[in-house]
Formats: sequence, structure tokens, C-alpha cells
Amino acid sequence: MAYEALDFYDVDSLLTEEERMVRDMVRDWVDEEVIPNIEIACREGVFPDEWRVALGEMGVLGAPLKGYDCPGLSYTAYGVICRELERGDSGLRSFASVQGSLAMYPIWDFGSEEQKNHYLPKMASGEWIGCFGLTEPDYGSNPGDMITKAEDMGDHYLLNGAKMWITNGSIAELAVVWAKLDGVIRGFIVEKNDPGFSAPEMKGKHSLKASVTSELVFQDCKIPKDRMLPGVKGLRGPFSCLNNARYGISWGALGSAQACFDSAKDYAMSRIQFDHPIASYQLVQNKLSWMLREITKGQLLAYHLGQKKDSGDWIPEHISLAKMNNVDIALEIARVARDIHGANGILDEYPIMRHMANLESVKTYEGTHDIHNLIIGRHITGIQAFTREA
Amino acid sequence: MNITVLLKQVPDTTAKITISGGKVDENSVSKWSMSPYDEYALESGLQLKEKTGGNLVAITCGPERTKKMLTDAAAVGADTLVHISNDGVTDSTHVQKLLAAAVRRFDSQIVLCGKQAADTNSGSTGPGVAELIDAACVTLVTEVNYSEGKFSTIRPSNSGTEKVAVDGLSVFAFDKGTHELRRPNVRGIMMAKKKQVESITSGDLGVVLDSSNVTLNSQNPPPEKPAGQKFEGAEHVNEVVSKLRNEANVI
Repeated sequence: MAYEALDFYDVDSLLTEEERMVRDMVRDWVDEEVIPNIEIACREGVFPDEWRVALGEMGVLGAPLKGYDCPGLSYTAYGVICRELERGDSGLRSFASVQGSLAMYPIWDFGSEEQKNHYLPKMASGEWIGCFGLTEPDYGSNPGDMITKAEDMGDHYLLNGAKMWITNGSIAELAVVWAKLDGVIRGFIVEKNDPGFSAPEMKGKHSLKASVTSELVFQDCKIPKDRMLPGVKGLRGPFSCLNNARYGISWGALGSAQACFDSAKDYAMSRIQFDHPIASYQLVQNKLSWMLREITKGQLLAYHLGQKKDSGDWIPEHISLAKMNNVDIALEIARVARDIHGANGILDEYPIMRHMANLESVKTYEGTHDIHNLIIGRHITGIQAFTREA
Repeated sequence: MNITVLLKQVPDTTAKITISGGKVDENSVSKWSMSPYDEYALESGLQLKEKTGGNLVAITCGPERTKKMLTDAAAVGADTLVHISNDGVTDSTHVQKLLAAAVRRFDSQIVLCGKQAADTNSGSTGPGVAELIDAACVTLVTEVNYSEGKFSTIRPSNSGTEKVAVDGLSVFAFDKGTHELRRPNVRGIMMAKKKQVESITSGDLGVVLDSSNVTLNSQNPPPEKPAGQKFEGAEHVNEVVSKLRNEANVI
């Protein structure tokens, strides 16, 4: 059966024709190439290279960026792309988020003209994969206290430190790394063959198994002077990137939720217990009805936020709310869907357990659920509650 | 060279079909797509265009919704998009007349289409249009090539495949082709958005849709598959063998 996306309020009718065509293109690709292969990719713990090539050929990487051979789509289209990719798998959407929002975006916004011309066309085509180094082993929610530092050695910079939980790290051609230069956070482009740089893969994940996660290690890593991003200083740099990635996640999580709903609905309609389909029982209907309710609210949130991103009338707190809410409901929907599937819900014949395990990561990365609550709490009260010190 | 591809929008082959009042209920079709054999015709047309240059004209006859399919065709490379209104159309001979008139209007040397549409499966468009425009027609082709003014095509034969060469105005009706279908990309979609669909009617084409002598009486869903049968134990061997031989016809 063709995938019929749950769209109770017909929110997709608000998309432009171009946005709908992009949606259909990505949706068809996910149906034909991703869903039939995702479980094998997870078992083997690899991100299939064909997917990198296909994303480049479709031209969706760095979706909302303009110029330098980037797609130049709307932020709404970028959201729709994330949603369709994440219906396949959160690891696939993570790849696209990191490439577009975390690696291409900082070069596009804060890079020199030479850096933009050099890196962006090859990243948009998928030829070069990028990654983003902010989080450190001891500094996750609190990146401002990062240890990684850069020293100006006259004719080059020397980087020392380590980054952790870096999506695409081991397969990346380049990393956008945030490090302190004289105590100020700056962005640096590190290429995979730079001396003193290594990116060992982190193994043993029970989540995002079809996505590569790595450490980035800098031991007297020597990089040329022209690799610093000239256009930004301080946490504003990495946070601007995160705003865009988090925005994409607020759509992406709905893709996972829709996949879980779709599977739960089909299963409930065909699973017979006590002589009737379990979908005919009130407790199951209550669960399906709750899923539809939360997905519909999440869709309206994501669409409206997309319009605000496109008009420029947004604040980071708007994004925090959508990321936090939509990932939260997606994870809960995955759990309830697993419940409806009974024991079958744990098998990889159904996408449920995979989405659930993925969403546990999505809830934590790109600003944990709790941190987004604190961001909104600060917005409401004017009082920051991240740290004890005022 | 103008290359014309005739396309039809059909319910997606994975979409659920419901029958209401003895007819397929079009309003309940969740997804409309380009008919799969037409996709091979389009792909082949695009490849010919890449080799010979020229203009690829995509023509469809149908209701308003079919314009979307033309835009999809533009996203992979169709140049001119022509939508013929199906007002007053009651059977496939009407469609053939309209398509034939449109083909003449665009002065194509070659017309490509699917061997049959995935909904009606009648397979009449290619031969029907060829007859009306006085063209050669080769059906069930998997590949069309062009060199020195001639088209050569591959089609299945009793003992393998045969290569058929055709001169002049020709219609080729495609089976599943040997080429992999291309996907659209964002760049193509952005170009497609700028392309206008030319809408024409039977009147514009000077075609009179006379009364039809074909009536569609009713449409029915295929019979449901009977439930599977289960046998346990050696005592059933003879019965199972007999069923496999006489009912399933597999041994």
C-alpha cells in the first residue's frame, strides 16, 4: 500500500506547489530506497553511501541556503524534507541536518568568500560531507565552558582538545569546530587530513544505528590561518547553527511519529484478538485518537514556525518550543505504538522500536528537552535557571 | 526535432481503489501518478533529446488534476507542456483523436507513449494515434535509438528480441524499458515551476467529438483471494499433490 501521510487538518495544502513537489520527490525516494534497506543499515551500523549520493543528486542538502550552488528553497521546504527523511529514519535526517544546518550553514553565514566558494558547492552536491564539533565529553548542555582551544602560532593555528557525539565525524571531509582563541569561541574548518586530527567512530549505540557518531580528537592539530570563520565570535556562532538544525528536527520528529502512527493503525486494523480487530476496542481507539491529536497539533506548530522562519519573524524560543514538543510527542507516540503492536512491536519487521530508540537520542541532542524548558522558562520569567550563579 | 510523449495520469498502482455505483470512485483515489509505462516512454524521450537535441513536448488529455503530472514531467526535463481538456470525451477513440490533433499541431517526427495505461489497460492509444496521423507504429518496445534519420527500436520476439528500424513519422508504444528512470531534483522542480502548461480544448484543435459507440457498463473489483489452506501430516500428501496439480496448476 502507498504511504498515506496522516494530515488530519490538511496542513500540507498550505504548502506551495514547489514545496509539495519536493515533498513527493523525497517521499518517493524514502519509500523506494530507504525503507527497504534501513534495517540492514542499522544491523550493520553503517550510513549507506548511496544515500549521500542520492541526497546530493536530489539537491536537498543545505536546502534553505541561497547561492554557491545551494538549493535556495524555503525554510518550510527544508522542514518538509526533514519530515520525509525522518519518516525513513532519524539517522538519515541527522545526516542531512548536520550537513545542511551545522556544517554548510556556518560557512555560508560566517565564512569568507573564498571559504564559501571552496566548500559550499561540493557540500551541496554531497561530494564532501561535513560535521560539527561543539559538544565535548564534559561540556554538553554547557558548551560555553568548552576546553578545546586554538592558539595563534603566527603562520597557522594549533588546535588542542576533543569533541564527542559528532554525527558524520568519521566520514566527514571537513569539520566545523568551535574552539576558544584567547578565551573567545571561534569557528574553524578542519579538514580530515590535517596533521594532529583524528575522528574515531563511537561504537555500541542502541540508537541512531544507521548514523555515524564519532569523537574528534585534536592533538597539536595544525591548520592554516585561512580556516577560521571570520564572521562570528562567541556562542552566537554555534547557536545560530543549532537554531536551524533544531527547527528541522521539529519537523523531522513528526515524520517518525507519522511512521509509528501509520504502522500502529495498520496493525490494529488487521490484528484479531477475541474475534475482532483490536482497532475495534475502545482502549486502542483512544490511543490512536491521541496520536492523531498530538501529530495534528505538532504539524500546525511546525508549519507556523516554518512560515515565521521564512518571514524572519522568529525568536530562538519559538524553535525551542517546537523542537521540545514535537520530539516529546513523537517519542511518546512511538512508545504507545509499540504497545499497540504487542510483542510484534519489538521486531524489526515493524519500524516502531527503531524510531523509539532513535527518538531517545533526538530528545537529548540539539538541546535536551529540559534545556529547552529552561530556555522557555527564562523567556517567561526573565530569570535564567541554567546555573546557580546569577 | 520535436519529440512528443503522450502521458496519462492514473491512480497510483499502490493506491486503494473503491467502486461506487458500478464505477471507480475517482474522488477516493489517494494518489495519482504517471502511468508506469508512460514513464519509460518519457525517459526514452528525454534520452533521445539529450542525444539529438530538440524540444520534448509532453501531452496529456484529462481533467484539471492531470496538469500536475505535466509539471512533474517538466521537473525531469519536458520542455513544452500541453493539457487537452477531456470535456465531452466519452471513450478512448475521442482521446486518440484529440492526441492525434495535438501531435500534428506540434509537428513531431516521433511520438512515444506507454503500451497501455495502468488503469484501463486497453492499449489503444499508440496504435490509435498512429492510424490517425498516418504514422508507422511499433508496440512493446523497450528502447528507441536514432541515427541518420532513422529510428531503431528493440522489442521482444518469439526467440528473444528483434530490432526494428522505422523511417519517417513513427509512434512507439513502450513496455517496461531497459533504462533506469531518472528522479527529479530540486533544480528541475524550480525550473518546472516556471513552465506554463498550455491548456487547449477539442474546439481549439478543431476536433468534433461525435457520439460514442462504446459504453462502459460497470466496473468491478477483482474477486477476493480465497483463504489459504493448511495441511498437517503425511496422510494429506496425495490430496496436496492433487490440488497443486489440478487446482493451482503448478506441478
